[in-house]
Amino acid sequence: MIWILILAAGVSGILIGGRSAVTGFLSLQYHPARLLQDFAASVGVGGALLNAGLVAALGLGLVHLAGIQLSGPTLAAVFTMFGFGLFGKTPLNAAPIIAGVAVAARLADRRFGEYILIALFGTALGPIVSLVAAELVPGGIGLATLAAILAGLATGVVLPAVAIAMLRLHQGYSLYNVGLTSGMVAVFVAAGVRAAHPDLPPVGVWDPAGTPVLEGAVVITSVVLVLAGMVLGGHGTLRRTYGLLAFDGRLPSDFCDLASVDAALVNMGAMGIASWAVVRGLAAPMNAAVAGAVFTVIGFAAFGKHPRNSWPVVAGVILTAIVFGKPLTDPGVILAALFVTTLAPVAGQFGPVVGILAGAAHLLLVLQTGAWHAGMTLYNNGFAAGLVATMVVAIVEWYQANVSQRDRRFTR
Amino acid sequence: MKHKDFVLHLIGEAAHFMLDSDPMRMVISLHQEEDGLHLAILDDTRRGEAELQRIRTDLNNARRPELAGYYGSMAGSDVLGSARLNLIGWQIKHADVSATDSGTRIDLWLGGDRFNPAAFSIPEGTD
Repeated sequence: MIWILILAAGVSGILIGGRSAVTGFLSLQYHPARLLQDFAASVGVGGALLNAGLVAALGLGLVHLAGIQLSGPTLAAVFTMFGFGLFGKTPLNAAPIIAGVAVAARLADRRFGEYILIALFGTALGPIVSLVAAELVPGGIGLATLAAILAGLATGVVLPAVAIAMLRLHQGYSLYNVGLTSGMVAVFVAAGVRAAHPDLPPVGVWDPAGTPVLEGAVVITSVVLVLAGMVLGGHGTLRRTYGLLAFDGRLPSDFCDLASVDAALVNMGAMGIASWAVVRGLAAPMNAAVAGAVFTVIGFAAFGKHPRNSWPVVAGVILTAIVFGKPLTDPGVILAALFVTTLAPVAGQFGPVVGILAGAAHLLLVLQTGAWHAGMTLYNNGFAAGLVATMVVAIVEWYQANVSQRDRRFTR
Repeated sequence: MKHKDFVLHLIGEAAHFMLDSDPMRMVISLHQEEDGLHLAILDDTRRGEAELQRIRTDLNNARRPELAGYYGSMAGSDVLGSARLNLIGWQIKHADVSATDSGTRIDLWLGGDRFNPAAFSIPEGTD
């Protein structure tokens, strides 16, 4: 079914854009990809959909080639790749990073399948490859491509080591662990690039109008997922979906395993519809970045997110925006309101009040972090949320060890 | 000791699980062989058959290399929330869970493809 959805997206892109979809897709391969790019605004929605479909197909193909079963984490990875294929990832900037992770797996004497999630999510650093190919290296497309591939390989090689270390920092309370990972890597890369190019210009394309095609894609995908879950599970699907709400969502929570595949599909569709309602409610445009965020939420609804653990963090972002007088249609606010659901496990484990506070901290931080890495990681929200989760975990851990259990503490 | 960090993480998560039930006694025993090792954890907490079965299920879960190689690294490194035996289960060859006279015993078998737990040299009945 996922292959059909991806194929439908790619074919729709060609049908909508015709010849320009193909030329648009080709031009994206040497297009700047640093945050925040709207590929639909840059080359047309047809080219953007074709690009997103091919990026997702690359991810899904690798999952099959590596002999890994399609379940919660792999669904999350493929939907995330599709979503970010609308605003930053391309097959050309993703492939060298994936190859770099494969090299790291070889160095560690592990099978690629063991690192496949790091490889797929790690394509968030695609803008580094695009930066080298399209902005930094003069001297023709051949030299630029070679330099970009080398940069991507080097980036991919370091990812597993950093990803595993970051996981231990926030202990699974931020679902986008590679967001924190790629943010860390990107901060160092940006520092190096700025040393050589202090005048690195910011890039940014934000479509304030949105496009009905992407809104349709979000709604149709969500409805298809709900129907597929209901048909697959039959009687009892809703009961199993309700039971899924009991999980805190902390990494790794594969809802396909913990609950059932049908419940996970219904939850994915429900989270898609809920996200669409949030976008509509905030009167925000359904442009490529917003649609990409919604597709990411849909994917992670098989791997940790559900309405019960997500609403507090979303509420935290919206309330904080209102308190600080930020427009709810501001790109930073609307993207934070969707991507903050990476902190759903915080609300799931520690309750809605801590969830709302985490959401508030997330918005304040994420509006600053983009400048730290010059947009070189696409998971800016994942980076900020990883820092928030690390802070929350540190405080709760200290509290539990020193305050709530002080009567049980041994003294010398 | 081969794979010291890996073993330390597994011991940490298993001990985390046992300590969640607040035992008065816990014993961790490690035996290493050429191709693998055996980790036994015992406590004095009596558990019902349903709970023992749940532990067996978590420790003998399906092969998930994509989770073992990445999220499995969280085993033994976090102390918030409950222990998660599935993090161990993804990384080991086999687990036996049994009730003893005074509590519970968990045997974890780790090793390469050549490792045969049945040929292990621990004397039967060793607690």
